[in-house]
Amino acid sequence: MSVPLSQMWTVATYVLGQRLRGRQRYPLVLMLEPLFRCNLACAGCGKIQYPGHILRRHLTVEQCLAAVEECGAPMVSIPGGEPLMYPDIGRLVQELVARRKYVYLCTNALLLKEKLGEGVFTPSKYLSFSVHMDGLREEHDEAVCRDGVYDVAVEAICEALRRGFRVTTNTTLFDGANPLRMREFFDAMMDLGVEGMMVSPGYSYSKAPDQVHFLRRQRAHDLFRAMLANPKKRWRFNQSPIFLQFLMGKHDFECTPWGNPTYNLFGWQRPCYLLQEGYAASFKELIETTRWEDYGKRSGNPKCRDCMVHCGYEPTAVNHTFGSWRGFRESVVATVTGRF
Amino acid sequence: MAEETSLQGWAPVIGVETSVGEVVDRAFDYRGDVTVVTASGRELVGYIYNRDAHVAEPYLQMFDADGGSHQLSYSDIRAIRFTGKDTAAGTSYEAWLRRKAEAGSRPDA
Repeated sequence: MSVPLSQMWTVATYVLGQRLRGRQRYPLVLMLEPLFRCNLACAGCGKIQYPGHILRRHLTVEQCLAAVEECGAPMVSIPGGEPLMYPDIGRLVQELVARRKYVYLCTNALLLKEKLGEGVFTPSKYLSFSVHMDGLREEHDEAVCRDGVYDVAVEAICEALRRGFRVTTNTTLFDGANPLRMREFFDAMMDLGVEGMMVSPGYSYSKAPDQVHFLRRQRAHDLFRAMLANPKKRWRFNQSPIFLQFLMGKHDFECTPWGNPTYNLFGWQRPCYLLQEGYAASFKELIETTRWEDYGKRSGNPKCRDCMVHCGYEPTAVNHTFGSWRGFRESVVATVTGRF
Repeated sequence: MAEETSLQGWAPVIGVETSVGEVVDRAFDYRGDVTVVTASGRELVGYIYNRDAHVAEPYLQMFDADGGSHQLSYSDIRAIRFTGKDTAAGTSYEAWLRRKAEAGSRPDA
């Protein structure tokens, strides 16, 4: 696995500390959305469809930091929108790094080279650029509905690596993805020298422009088994091996929607990063007043039926790792052998 | 997933066609601005980003285009009209597919 030891140690001690305190529901990664504005309109994205006056708004750095403090998660993922369009992104990241939060800045990389050239960011073990790459050139440009984006992203990745930044990729997969092409894609990303890759099936956002290509559960298992059953030793994934096994159908997990809580312009989003059922004014209110029993596969909620997205199931995988010796052993074996 | 019909232009009569709670729920799910008419006749145009029907006095919250935020009780709402453009009813993906198909059919493509 590609996650640095210091980050693994931080997460492990955090999770064990929460469990020792008997905390039932605790956050692992804060999904911090400072804005909804984006410079792409991807087919499978349901995050950016808002009136202009909403897209022009953004959180202040102080609002972001207050949310980070209140939540207490050891990792902060900054999606959006496109975070590099956030005017204070440099200061926000600097403040988070100063607080020793592991930051994943999720970007389509269209502005990354420019921002690196301007010196907006400083390399740190706490900062990773998580570049959106949905496959090789043809597949990626189709997913983001614009030609040339793959090449721009590759150039930006190389520039970030050259400057000493941590770079990972995040890949969302849809129905029709070709396992062989995806294996070629994994090779291509390793050739670039990225630290690791993250993969997840897409969520069927009701507001996304393309409503046809979302993966149903069994097809997702088939696809991930075909991609990962015989992984190459050189592939590195920046995520829990147990989550990858779940995607392959080897575990029957339940969602942990509070594991990756979301904070944005509207407040604390109920119940998760993907569904918008309402907003709480504080993290405490989110945890204490959301009707969690209404969500997840076993709830029978049709919005959750086919969801296998990492923001709900990666926290479950982490809990599985630290919840029993068996889970811990499975994680260690998969990490050491590189097999899922 | 079944294709949804846009509510753009919808102006339901609360209490006849539907309840205020139902209209607020639809407006909360709507990705465009709405016009809320209060009991005093005041009209507020903006985006409804939150609502809570499970409290003693149900309310909605909205941002207006000038940057203001408002909280209104359900009991103070006389009408909600879906006046703004439905931003989720776009055809960007279909347009992209069409452009690709046209480019692919050109002899020089």
